[in-house]
Amino acid sequence: MNKFTSKKPHFEYLRNKWGSRAKAAQENFWDKHSNALKHLALGSIGGLILLSPPGGQLPNTHLLASSETALKGFDKNVLLAQVLSAKVPSEVRSLDVSEEKDIADILSSQFGFEVKAEIDNIRLNRSYGLIGGEQHLYRYPGDNLYAHVDTSSDWAKYGDAGIAPGLGAWGYFALSKDQFSEKDKQREKYYIAVPTFLSPGFAENFGKYRDFFKYRKMLVVNPKTGQSVVTVIGDAGPAEFTGKHLGGSPEVMDGLGLATGPRKGAVLYFFIDDPNDNIPLGPIKVRSELS
Amino acid sequence: MIFYSHLIEIESVIEELDKMDLSKEEKMHLSQLLDSSLHHTILDAIFSQLSEADKKVFASHLQEGHHEKIWKFLNEKIDHVEDKIRAVAKDLKEKLHKDLKEAKKIK
Repeated sequence: MNKFTSKKPHFEYLRNKWGSRAKAAQENFWDKHSNALKHLALGSIGGLILLSPPGGQLPNTHLLASSETALKGFDKNVLLAQVLSAKVPSEVRSLDVSEEKDIADILSSQFGFEVKAEIDNIRLNRSYGLIGGEQHLYRYPGDNLYAHVDTSSDWAKYGDAGIAPGLGAWGYFALSKDQFSEKDKQREKYYIAVPTFLSPGFAENFGKYRDFFKYRKMLVVNPKTGQSVVTVIGDAGPAEFTGKHLGGSPEVMDGLGLATGPRKGAVLYFFIDDPNDNIPLGPIKVRSELS
Repeated sequence: MIFYSHLIEIESVIEELDKMDLSKEEKMHLSQLLDSSLHHTILDAIFSQLSEADKKVFASHLQEGHHEKIWKFLNEKIDHVEDKIRAVAKDLKEKLHKDLKEAKKIK
């Protein structure tokens, strides 16, 4: 567990109380069931992951699993970063068509699905730019920030981002809480905002482009680390004066390794050609045979 | 995503935590403790209903992270498994709320 000091008595009270509670729950579990789990613990480090609390870590039996979890999505993509370093310009500028093709080919090959800068003659204004952190979006009428998290660790990590006062470009993700599905949940979690209104031909083809961009899957890659996230276009923006070229949800920024500090950085973003909706949203690793 | 997240409502606990004066680091620390307690409590509730052989099978399903497989297995092996998970989570949540209430009294 992290070692740090706090002079807040209410925090100290909860830390002691919940620390004892967590330790007791963990020890109770292992005392009762370790026999059946020995084969996993001895057989693989990965086997311990399943017993790690989501998003957190506790000492002893969980140490190995936590280290592995911390490196997930990062270490295997380092090779991708190395390959991209020869192709991505050091200056954050628009890529020309030839650069886009080279990079799209690399990404397609590394991830095993078709990645393109243009589909059906529609493209964004650029495919390499600065991403900045966005807020959460309301998903259905009556939604609130606390309802967005699966675990309290999610809240601690992503809660500070807050929730945008207005709706995303496509309105609510679902018309009511009852109709809200896992798919809607994933879409808000891994949304990006791109300036759809700046794409060539947008004004002349508003309806067609709106339908095309709505929840369109995009691969976003941090070329410095290789950290990559499969996202959907969930909002339009940001405005040009912000100096940013696109925005990412708190979870997207986390997946790209850009959730701390200035919460912005240069990323590549390309459409994913996935007409059958086979590719799940969220952080993604390069194909294992390539890593 | 955790396989039981759709059964657990932690909004009320988080809402109370959010009202407290806590730094990001403090929030992270308490959240990890909370998630760990919940996770081990729920796993214990499930494992306690399974035979030694089934525990191994279930652990393998968990390792794969295939939620449909997990739920198919649990529904076959444990009667009203979702209710049982909800019940232990509710019990733990009540204790956590009591702790939060006590913590707020401390000056």
